[in-house]
Amino acid sequence: MLKLFKEIRKAGDATTGYPFEPLEMPAGFRGKPEHNEKLCIACSACAIACPANAITMELDDKQSRITWDISYGRCIFCGRCQEVCPLFAIELTGDFELAVLNKDDLRESCSYEVACCSRCGKPYASAKEVDYARRVLESVGGTAAADIEKVDLCLDCRRFDDAEAFAHQAPERGEA
Amino acid sequence: MTTKKQAALRVGETHVQAVRDTFPGAVLDATWQAADQVTITVPTDMLPDVVEFLYYGRGGWLPNMVANDERPLCGCYALYYLLSMEESDPGFVVVRAEIDPDTMEYPSVTPRVPACVWSEREAFDMFGLRAIGLPDERRLVLPDDWPDNLYPLRKDSMDYRKRPAPVTDVENYSFLYEGNAEETTEVPMGPLHITSDEPGHFRLFVEGEDIIDADYRLFYVHRGMEKVAESRLNYDAVTFLADRICGICGNAHSVAYAEAVENAQGIEVPVRGQYIRAILLEVERLHSHLLNLGLVCHYCGFDTGFQHFFRVREKAMDLAVLLTGARKTYGLNLIGGVRRDILDEQKLATIKYVRELRNEVEALVDMLVSTANFESRTAGIGRLDPAVARDYSPVGPCVRGSGIARDVRFDHPFDGYKFLVGLSARSHDGCDVQSRTLVRVEEFMDSLTMIEQLLDGAPEGPIQTEDWQYTPHKFAMGYTEAPRGEDMHWAMVGDNQKCYRWRAKAATYSNWPILRYMFRGNTVADAAIIVGSMDPCYSCTDRVTVVDVKKKTSTVLTKDQLEGYCRRRTHSPLAGKGW
Repeated sequence: MLKLFKEIRKAGDATTGYPFEPLEMPAGFRGKPEHNEKLCIACSACAIACPANAITMELDDKQSRITWDISYGRCIFCGRCQEVCPLFAIELTGDFELAVLNKDDLRESCSYEVACCSRCGKPYASAKEVDYARRVLESVGGTAAADIEKVDLCLDCRRFDDAEAFAHQAPERGEA
Repeated sequence: MTTKKQAALRVGETHVQAVRDTFPGAVLDATWQAADQVTITVPTDMLPDVVEFLYYGRGGWLPNMVANDERPLCGCYALYYLLSMEESDPGFVVVRAEIDPDTMEYPSVTPRVPACVWSEREAFDMFGLRAIGLPDERRLVLPDDWPDNLYPLRKDSMDYRKRPAPVTDVENYSFLYEGNAEETTEVPMGPLHITSDEPGHFRLFVEGEDIIDADYRLFYVHRGMEKVAESRLNYDAVTFLADRICGICGNAHSVAYAEAVENAQGIEVPVRGQYIRAILLEVERLHSHLLNLGLVCHYCGFDTGFQHFFRVREKAMDLAVLLTGARKTYGLNLIGGVRRDILDEQKLATIKYVRELRNEVEALVDMLVSTANFESRTAGIGRLDPAVARDYSPVGPCVRGSGIARDVRFDHPFDGYKFLVGLSARSHDGCDVQSRTLVRVEEFMDSLTMIEQLLDGAPEGPIQTEDWQYTPHKFAMGYTEAPRGEDMHWAMVGDNQKCYRWRAKAATYSNWPILRYMFRGNTVADAAIIVGSMDPCYSCTDRVTVVDVKKKTSTVLTKDQLEGYCRRRTHSPLAGKGW
């Protein structure tokens, strides 16, 4: 019995001041994901990786804007989005206080302009992603940037071009 | 010469040979899915003989049976009886039998090996496969209001988002009474368990205060995860879903699923990844065992101890946050390895936590076992006869408290456990609540030692691999020792980057069928502590109903009444009510 009292005395007060004072989470804690819409190029990598479908990308009816959307109600805080983002535009923070009074407040979204193919006019990627690809190719330079204007083409048109180029090279390969 | 010959034999080869010798012509096919896993296909009518032979004749235990709708693959259904061979030639032997989709029938193995009972009942619920001779043909998983002839896991049955309209408004589940005494009282306990506050309906058959028999019904919170995984998720995202099977031992499920796929696809996890998986599994055990020890204090009326175990448990939770970024649902497993490394500073902090936990828990355990109530409340209570244990293949501290040292960490070492030295499975032979508690105490201390050894031994290097080819329709088992016993997962991936079939067996699934034997011969006041000693993983009841079979009356006890009675054992809440 005496031992027990000693232990109680030694343990002291186990409670913390939270919620009347802030509670710091250690580095690496996986809390609310914060999206940086300026860095984001709307490439959809996070939406594909998200196991819970908390992050979605949707094209509007006119196919002119693509909307990135997260539902914190669905989020499981696994951090796959952070891992796959090529531009570090999404990061899990130490914030764990996510309760809201209105369910709609659990959603956040932002929309991005969609680029259309310069030849066929079909929407094919977000304008920021196309721009990013162009800038990366420019900075690399050399052969990588040789056909840089092709970033303005959709995948189908590029395939068509490739097939045509292949056909033109047939005589060089010695084919009839 | 003989040693050379033995070395050339694959794991499980001796068992396959023994089956061939005993039942000529029974083995239609034998294939190895992984180094320690072999699947033999036998004729359906030989199934009970072969499983019984491997179980009792060759030292096998039966964690689970998996049913699978293989009509798109081979035109029939298939059953896989997973057997863990734990005497000679340790490994896994899976007995597979094909079932004709026209008759949908197979001979039940349960009369020979009782451990199959739940799996065979579930196979009927999910696939409509009827086990001929199964003594208990009630539904197991599906609710009373589920339509007949709708078998959710058949490939052509239903969309996972659909919920059929209820077919009945009344509960028509019948509880089975196996005792001899005619004049008993029926005590319903549920729909929530008294102490774990989780759903499960118990029916105690009592004579006065003594429990003669008990039956129970669970799966009130069946979430259909297997169906969701097969329909919606890609196979590599299922680790995150598996993390959510249990709020306490989710990581064990996540690892078990990942290993099932890795074993099937022949993926070798880098050694450092294997160490980290083992460390995280042990971190999970720390908080789980502390939780149970706290609850034991609570049942014994030693609530100060309960508070202090929970205070110390918070350190184990902090350790998990440090290493994984979350208190629970660690979410660190991917097919091919883990996602987060343990850095040097985290290693040092972990060692500090481990030392503190060891000192503090030693002091608390000392106090718990020297409490007079502990001895009197737990010794000789809830006896699990080793013979019953042998028949039903229970797992974890439950079976280890009955003198049987089964533990997949040592029986079939996987991941970082392969590299441990000087440790072995713990067991106590009191067969009672006390033994199960003491096993947990020792395992907790072992876990601390394991974490230290694993941290020290982990080599440098990568923690995950992406180097594999995806091959459809390969299947294998994955297994881990969760705090409550082995988790056994069986997975077959399909040709669409999804699970074709995923069967997740939680530890407690193996333990529920023995509970009625543990109840027998105890008093109503012991019921809560017996269930608690199993450390069950489900949702418990809030209320208990007591039914007098003789008088055909029933009384509903509240949680507080029963819990209080469990601790005081005086002032029976049934007194004065004609009991």
